[in-house]
Amino acid sequence: MLTYVIRRILILIPMLLIISFLVYWGLELTPGDAVSHLINPEAAGRMSAEQLNDLRESYGLNKSFIERYGIWLINVLQGNFGHSLAGGVPIADIFLDRLPATLELSFVALFFSTVMGSILGTISALKRGSAVDSGLTVVGMLGVSIPELFFGLVALLIFALELGWLPVGGRLLPSYTSYWDHVPNIVLPALVLSLMMTAGVMRYSRSSMLDALSREFITTARSKGLPEWRINLLHGFRVALTPVVVLIGFRLPVLIGGTVIIEQVFQWPGIGNEFISSVRGADYPLVMMIALFSVFAVLLASLIIDVLTALIDPRVRLS
Amino acid sequence: METDHNIALSVKNLKTYFYTNNRCNRAVNGVSFDIEKGKTLCIVGESGCGKSVTASTIMQLLPRLSRIEEGSITYHSDAGDIDIENLERNGQKMRAIRGSEIAMIFQDPMTALNPVYTIGFQIGESLKYHTDLTRKQIRDKTIDLLRDMGISLPEQRIDEYPHQYSGGMRQRAMIAMAMSCNPKILIADEPTTALDVTIQAQIFELMDRLKEKHNTAIMLITHDMGVVAELADDVAVMYMGNIVEAGTIDEVLRTPTHPYTRALLDSIPVLGEGKNQIIEPIPGSTPDPYQRPKGCQFAPRCTHYSEQCDIMPAETQISETHRIMCWKYQEFATNGK
Amino acid sequence: MENSSLNRKFDRILALENAGKLKASSGNRALSKFYNNRLAVFGLIVFSIILLTAVFAPLLTSHDPLKINLRNIAQSPSWEHWFGTDRTGRDVFSRVLYGGRISILVGLGSALMAAVIGVAIGAYTGFKGGWIDVIALRISEIFMSFPQIILVLMLVSIAGQSLFNLIFIFVLTGWGAMYRMTRARMLSLREEEYVQALQSFGLSTATICYKHILPNALGPIMVNITLSTAAFILAEAGLSFLGLGVPLNLPTWGNILNVAQEIRVLQNFWWMWLPVGLVISLFVLSVNFIGDGLRDATDPSQQG
Repeated sequence: MLTYVIRRILILIPMLLIISFLVYWGLELTPGDAVSHLINPEAAGRMSAEQLNDLRESYGLNKSFIERYGIWLINVLQGNFGHSLAGGVPIADIFLDRLPATLELSFVALFFSTVMGSILGTISALKRGSAVDSGLTVVGMLGVSIPELFFGLVALLIFALELGWLPVGGRLLPSYTSYWDHVPNIVLPALVLSLMMTAGVMRYSRSSMLDALSREFITTARSKGLPEWRINLLHGFRVALTPVVVLIGFRLPVLIGGTVIIEQVFQWPGIGNEFISSVRGADYPLVMMIALFSVFAVLLASLIIDVLTALIDPRVRLS
Repeated sequence: METDHNIALSVKNLKTYFYTNNRCNRAVNGVSFDIEKGKTLCIVGESGCGKSVTASTIMQLLPRLSRIEEGSITYHSDAGDIDIENLERNGQKMRAIRGSEIAMIFQDPMTALNPVYTIGFQIGESLKYHTDLTRKQIRDKTIDLLRDMGISLPEQRIDEYPHQYSGGMRQRAMIAMAMSCNPKILIADEPTTALDVTIQAQIFELMDRLKEKHNTAIMLITHDMGVVAELADDVAVMYMGNIVEAGTIDEVLRTPTHPYTRALLDSIPVLGEGKNQIIEPIPGSTPDPYQRPKGCQFAPRCTHYSEQCDIMPAETQISETHRIMCWKYQEFATNGK
Repeated sequence: MENSSLNRKFDRILALENAGKLKASSGNRALSKFYNNRLAVFGLIVFSIILLTAVFAPLLTSHDPLKINLRNIAQSPSWEHWFGTDRTGRDVFSRVLYGGRISILVGLGSALMAAVIGVAIGAYTGFKGGWIDVIALRISEIFMSFPQIILVLMLVSIAGQSLFNLIFIFVLTGWGAMYRMTRARMLSLREEEYVQALQSFGLSTATICYKHILPNALGPIMVNITLSTAAFILAEAGLSFLGLGVPLNLPTWGNILNVAQEIRVLQNFWWMWLPVGLVISLFVLSVNFIGDGLRDATDPSQQG
């Protein structure tokens, strides 16, 4: 098991190297150079041309592309992600500032959609062909078809603007005294994001459950005279669970995509929101670092999911 | 052979139809047979002839889009007769029979065992629902069962997963599972098709031993005439949903009467007859189940076809135990081998 | 009760079968299965209606979607302007129709191009195997480890905003899924005996691969095209809503929706964003229904 995990990590490293190289290359294609990326732009503005040139020299900008990449990589590994062009804030600080909001939103959505989605999907599969199943199927289809921003806007209009039950947007407002004061703020974005994701998980767990129920060991279980609930839960659901867990890992990119949009609709001050403003403001170092960070998150999630799957499935665990 | 107390299960004029794709497939179209205690009934036929469906019907393990149309399945339990066809599919009464009175083993033990549970867990499940044993007793009994089935080191093997077993061992574990509650009837659906020949022999030997020991009635489904010759006490030959010929092993193998049975026997080599034996494949192929011949289902492939055969022949008893579905049985019965 | 309705259905089939009325269906079984799926047919009808209104937009409206009319700002819906006018007095109805042209072009066009590229590479490398297969697989892995929206926005920030760039970027980010699916089908199909027979006849790899194997993978490919069409239309709407998709001077569904970012518009001028939001939802829904119908129709393991 341990060797399996180590092997998986070893496969990840070259992947990350290639992607970081591509990102760095993208960074080089954009206007500006490493000096403006690595040091505070305001400080750079005060320097003379000669000083800047010395600085370029000291950063090795006259060196080859590969060497420059190496230097940049070492910097990144040491936590020096460079500076944002807007205001010259270190990118690491921006991450620390914005990440909690995004993590909060995505974890709520991930948790809610996984639980609801797999329960509803399983019910749908067990009641196949019934009115409940058709109803859930159509609702699920609506869920994956309505643009989340549109759904978000309508929810915003109804619950925040018209009914006034919930705040329009934002997260930690200055008037809040405790951490829990912002709970009303998270309700709408989290609910919209969760519902959209629930639809996908539901559709998937329905088909996974149907697949599990059509397997031969279900017939075996039935031939032993086991009650239906035990067959469905212990034999059906338990086996259907593995692909659903895998799906959650695969849905991380979807979640990130959804978060970017929803953060924008509800003015949620997370990484996604920051990403949009950096793209709009052509703040290339920030764009690239967020992109790199998101890839890292996706690869990490896939690693965790692989390990989780191995824990669930004895065929992988014991080989 | 009216209500013989030796009979474990009798099936009368059973019809099971499938309703997939908005069509009706008469998968089992009126079969009758008895399974006797301590004996092995072999049901032989090509794939798609309805032999497996017959087995699933007895266990009420049919898929959703199918139903029993007609006929009866009577299980002669110690507490009186039970009409299985009237029981609710997954109802409590049916579940009480499954696994404890009638048990089943399947073709491919790899797919028939749940990959995420240990062998011990899966055998124990059966005991848990059909006996009052405690957890500890279940474990001990499971170990005993595995040992009985010839699995070495059962104390360790009990906690292993199906993928850690070899093919033959998996089928032994399946049999342990089926035999756990001492069923009166064991239905085996091609139990060795997925196994090597040497393992096959071992599995059959095991089944034969269990039959002797517990007086179990065995219904063995196979397409292999060699297996039939080896194991069967009685034989039923199925073709396109009907039993075309049935009788004791001697009657069917020594005096095969239905043209299909004869063709089937001619199409396999016999051990010990040397390399010069004539092997005749059966001409043609099994018809599309949705475009069945009007009368005798074998008529289009039969070398003895005549117009008479366009009407379905009735079952005729040619001896006390030997019966056949063919208009021309007299011709064959007299000039039989 | 489910059982009694099933029993009635069985009785009906049996009666028809006994009367000899059920003949082996002539024609394509997958096609007839598709037409028996009510949701799929509904999807096909809605899809066709929206597609046709977009294509024949000039016949359906006399308003110019680009014409600014400052005397007619933010009018609510009327006979003259079915969906009202926006804040520069442009007719929203004609913008939705003309916007459909570009949005559907982006969605369907990107999906088709991504399919052509993904399938061509997947079929060839999957069949051929070896180092070329490994390289293609690694490249697709790199593309697929970026969350799509991040990759798209990153590329937009490098390549700049234009209709062509957007389609190009969608194809670049979308071919991977198609490639993966085709490759997986190919790996299982190339082990089939008929393929080995063809190889023993000495047919060229390309002929076997594209002419003899590919048609067998057509079902899943079609399903995938519909699903990625839906995904690209949603992506276009999302990006344009953020103001980072198609340049704002072109009417697209996403660009029309863009105005709803302003709370004032959201609350007071519902006609500027609600109809177009519904049209997008309906269109994507119809495409998804078609996709589901195709999947059920072409998957032999699904019976019913």
